[in-house]
Amino acid sequence: MLEDRARRLGLRVPICAVEPQNANGIFDTALPVVAAGPRATAEPGVPDATSAAAVVQSLDRAVDLVMSGAARALVTAPLAKSVVYAAGFPFPGHTEYLAARCATPDGTIPHPVMMIWSPLLAVVPATIHIPLAQVPARVTQDLLVQTGRIVDHDMRTRFAIAAPRLAFAGLNPHAGEDGTLGREDEDVVRPAIAALRAEGIDARGPRPADTLFHEEARAGYDVVIGMYHDQVLIPAKTLAFHDGVNVTLGLPFVRTSPDHGTAFDLAGTGRANPTSLLAALRLAWRLTAPGRAA
Amino acid sequence: MGFSTAISGRDRCVMGLAMGDPGGIGAELAARMLADPAISAVMQLVVLGNRRMLEAGAATCGLSPDLPDLPLARLSRDVILSERRHVMVEVGDAADLSHLVPGEPTRAGGAFALENFRTGIRLTDAGVLDALCFTPFNKYAMRLAYPSYQDEIVFISEILGTGDGVAEFNVADIWTGRVTSHVPLSQVASLISREAVLGRLIMTDRIMRAGGVAHPKIAVAGLNPHAGDNGNFGREEIEVIAPAVAEGRARGIDCDGPFSPDTVFVRATRGEFNSVLTMYHDQGQIAMKLMNFEKGVVLFGGFPFPICTPAHGTAYDIAGQGKAHPGAMRATLLLAASLASGKAAPAPVLESNAAVSA
Repeated sequence: MLEDRARRLGLRVPICAVEPQNANGIFDTALPVVAAGPRATAEPGVPDATSAAAVVQSLDRAVDLVMSGAARALVTAPLAKSVVYAAGFPFPGHTEYLAARCATPDGTIPHPVMMIWSPLLAVVPATIHIPLAQVPARVTQDLLVQTGRIVDHDMRTRFAIAAPRLAFAGLNPHAGEDGTLGREDEDVVRPAIAALRAEGIDARGPRPADTLFHEEARAGYDVVIGMYHDQVLIPAKTLAFHDGVNVTLGLPFVRTSPDHGTAFDLAGTGRANPTSLLAALRLAWRLTAPGRAA
Repeated sequence: MGFSTAISGRDRCVMGLAMGDPGGIGAELAARMLADPAISAVMQLVVLGNRRMLEAGAATCGLSPDLPDLPLARLSRDVILSERRHVMVEVGDAADLSHLVPGEPTRAGGAFALENFRTGIRLTDAGVLDALCFTPFNKYAMRLAYPSYQDEIVFISEILGTGDGVAEFNVADIWTGRVTSHVPLSQVASLISREAVLGRLIMTDRIMRAGGVAHPKIAVAGLNPHAGDNGNFGREEIEVIAPAVAEGRARGIDCDGPFSPDTVFVRATRGEFNSVLTMYHDQGQIAMKLMNFEKGVVLFGGFPFPICTPAHGTAYDIAGQGKAHPGAMRATLLLAASLASGKAAPAPVLESNAAVSA
C-alpha cells in the first residue's frame, strides 16, 4: 500500500518490511514497515469496506508493540469511521478502542482524555462529539474532576510540567455572569474546581471563554479545559491551523495523531499537508524522550 | 488646534456621541473625533456628556475643542444644524463626577455613562439625532450604578419599548452576527429555529449592504461539532440550518453552509466569505477576539436607527496618556453615518493597527 502510493506520487521512498525488533537499524536506508493484517486494496479517495480489517489489525499490532515496550509511543493516522463502522467496529473512534484495549485485569477501562496540543496552546474538551444540546447535561462535576485529575497527572508525567496550571472555561457566555446567564458555572464547574484544588491541583476558573485565548491570557495557564468541542477547537484551529496534534491522555502509553480527518478528496493527489502528522510524530518523540518520568 | 467647521448640506448626518466610561479613553477618543476632518466632512457631532471631562481628555491629546454648548431642553435637529459645526450637550449633574477615580470602574462613572447613553437613545428616537455612537462602557461600573443592567441591547430595548429582531454585529474585515446572544448555553439549541436563522441571514445581508458592502457573502456556522457530521452529532444542521440557508439563497442572499464551526473563521479570513453568521455567543466571540477584531465596530442592528460603538474596551491602562488609537472610533462613526444615510456609502476603511495601542 505504501509503495503503491509512493509510486503514484512519484516519491522515491525505499521501504523495507521488518520485524519490530529490527526496525531501528533500518531508518538510515529505508522506511521500516511492520506488516500487519491483510493487504488493503482501496483506491485513493474511495472509502472501501475491505480496508477495515487492515486498519483494525494494524492498530492492534501497534498497541501490542507499545504495551510490550517494543515501541515507545503510538501515532495513528486518521481512519474513516464509516469504513470501520460498516465492518462492525463497535467503538466511536480510535480513542475509545485504545481505552478498551487498555482495560486492567479487573476490567476497568481507563478514561481517555483528548488534548489538542500546539506550541501555542493546549486544550482539552470535557465533552467531544456530542450534540451541543446535550452538553450541559453531560458536563457533571464528576466528569470535570476526573478530567482535571488525568490532565494534571499527564501534564506532570508526560509533559514534565512540575505544577501544571489548569484553566477551566465557563460553559455559558461570560462564564454565566454570576449565574445570570446559566447556573452551571456556579453549580457544577466551580465546585469541581474547588474539589480539584482541595487535592492540590492548580485548577482555576471558570473563566469567560471569549477572553481566555489571547496571548496575554495564555501566559497564565498550561492547559485549558473547555466544556465542549468547539469551545476549544475554535481557538486551537484559529491559532494553529496546521500544527495541532491530538494527544490522548489517560492511557498507559503516549498516543498522538494528526488533528485532521482522512481527506478522501485529497487522497492520491499529493496535496495533503503533512505538517500535523509530522508534529504528531515529533510530539510523541518528545513526550517519550529518555530520562522522562513515565 | 481647532477643528473644521466646513460642514455643509441640509442632509448632513447629525450624530450623537455619548461619552462612555469616564475612567477610560473615551474623552480622548471624543476629542480626537471632533478634530478629525474625515468625520466633519460627513457629519455634525453632538457630544453628550460633560465639557470639563471632554476638555481634560482633549488636553491629553494636545487638543482644545471649540464647540458651543446647546441646552438639552429645547434641543432640535434644526437648532443643531443651524450651528453648522460640532456641538456639546451637557447631561446630568457635574457635581456627581467628583467621585470619579481615573482608571477604575466607579458607580459615578457608570451613572454618567448610563445617563449619556439614555439621553442619546431618547434624542435619536425623537428624531433630534440621526444615529448614536458611544465611547466604551465598563459593564461593571454600569452595574454599580444600575444593578439590573444586562447588556446594551436589553437597555436600549427597555427605553424604546421594542427589541424584536435586534442583533449585535461585529464589523471589521469580516462581519459577524449571531442567532443567539446572552443566553445560557442550555437554551441555545431550542432557540435555533429556521425562522431565527433565516431572519438573521436577511438582516445580515441587508445591514451589510446598508453599511457599504456591495456583495455580502455570508458563511453560516453549524451548531454542533463538525456541523453535526451528517447528523451523527446533532440534527439541527440538517433539519433547521441547511433549510434556512437554502431559503436565504432562494431569496437572493449569497450565503452558504452550515460549515464546521471550528474552521469557518479561518476560511473567512482567507477570503472565502466576508461575513460569518454564528449560532451562539462564544462560537463567534472566541474567534473574533483572537483575530484582533477589537479594532472593529460593534453594531446594534434592528432598532429604528443605527447604534454603534468601538469593539475595544475602556483601556484603563492607557487612559489619560493620549496614546489611544482612534481608528476603531472613527470607523464606528463612519459606519453609523453610512447606515443612517440609508444609502450604500463606502464601507469605512479600518486601520491595520489595533484601536488601542498596547
